[in-house]
Amino acid sequence: MEQAATQRTPHIEISGAACRIVGECYPENIQEFSAPVMSSLRSLVPDSGAYQVEMELFYFNSSSAKFLFDFFEFFEEKAASGLAVKINWNYRLDDDTMLEAGEDFAEDMESCEFELVGVEVPSEGEGEAE
Amino acid sequence: MINDETLELHKFMQARRTLFCYSGPLSEDLLTSISNPVRQQLSESESDEGVAKRVFGVFVEQAQNIIRYATLRADTGEGVGTIAISVTENDGFLIEAVNAIDSTKRTALEATLLELSMKDAKELRKMYKDRLRSGPPEGSQGAGLGFIEMARRVQRFEFEIADTENGPVFVYRGYVS
Repeated sequence: MEQAATQRTPHIEISGAACRIVGECYPENIQEFSAPVMSSLRSLVPDSGAYQVEMELFYFNSSSAKFLFDFFEFFEEKAASGLAVKINWNYRLDDDTMLEAGEDFAEDMESCEFELVGVEVPSEGEGEAE
Repeated sequence: MINDETLELHKFMQARRTLFCYSGPLSEDLLTSISNPVRQQLSESESDEGVAKRVFGVFVEQAQNIIRYATLRADTGEGVGTIAISVTENDGFLIEAVNAIDSTKRTALEATLLELSMKDAKELRKMYKDRLRSGPPEGSQGAGLGFIEMARRVQRFEFEIADTENGPVFVYRGYVS
């Protein structure tokens, strides 16, 4: 599954080996946004082997926090039953808000490997648009 | 002859250093349309991207509060309110929102905001996390996290529920710098 970023939703890629979410997340309708993502995860993410999750969010609103919580919970359950999940939470080094958010999600992770990765701030623009 | 009010409106907005103001029915579609101009205004008047992002974050939560909780306009079902971003004397930002509310929700709203106004950053962070785990409270269309999110992004906020001839009106002022 691959979904291009819109003004209010991030770029999303989900395969049988990896998942990548990059951009901003404050969708007009959180259910309409999250339902296909969660359903793709359920059909594509395997039960065993290894899985890589790359997150790079610049901003998300409070309604999207619930989606992210469910998203990580999905992987936590997969990891608890045998999938080796590695999650990278990429945040810009000067962005305390996204660092704190990553720390809070990391706290709930027991079976997934969750790493906070500080990235250099690009000199201009809002990062790559893909 | 030109109506004085028009000139006064202009002077008032200029004196308040208002970057953006909208008053009327608000929908998610409209929020999408106004997001870009709001951001552009913010990036022109604020070089610190973190501050601009916090202001924008508070603005989005305020707008979605109006969309979800303001007393609905009978004909379109849209929430009606006023939302504005202005520059303060110390070159910080004031983000304001005003909307009519249902009188039955008044007590709960007052209690929620009073509780939030007494929490420090650490307590707010914990509250946000706990709420995320426990799910939305009854009657909430969002995750019930909006006001906590706003409280975390502002230096301080003020609120009031004013009585008008058309019922209670909720006023929120958040300061970011």
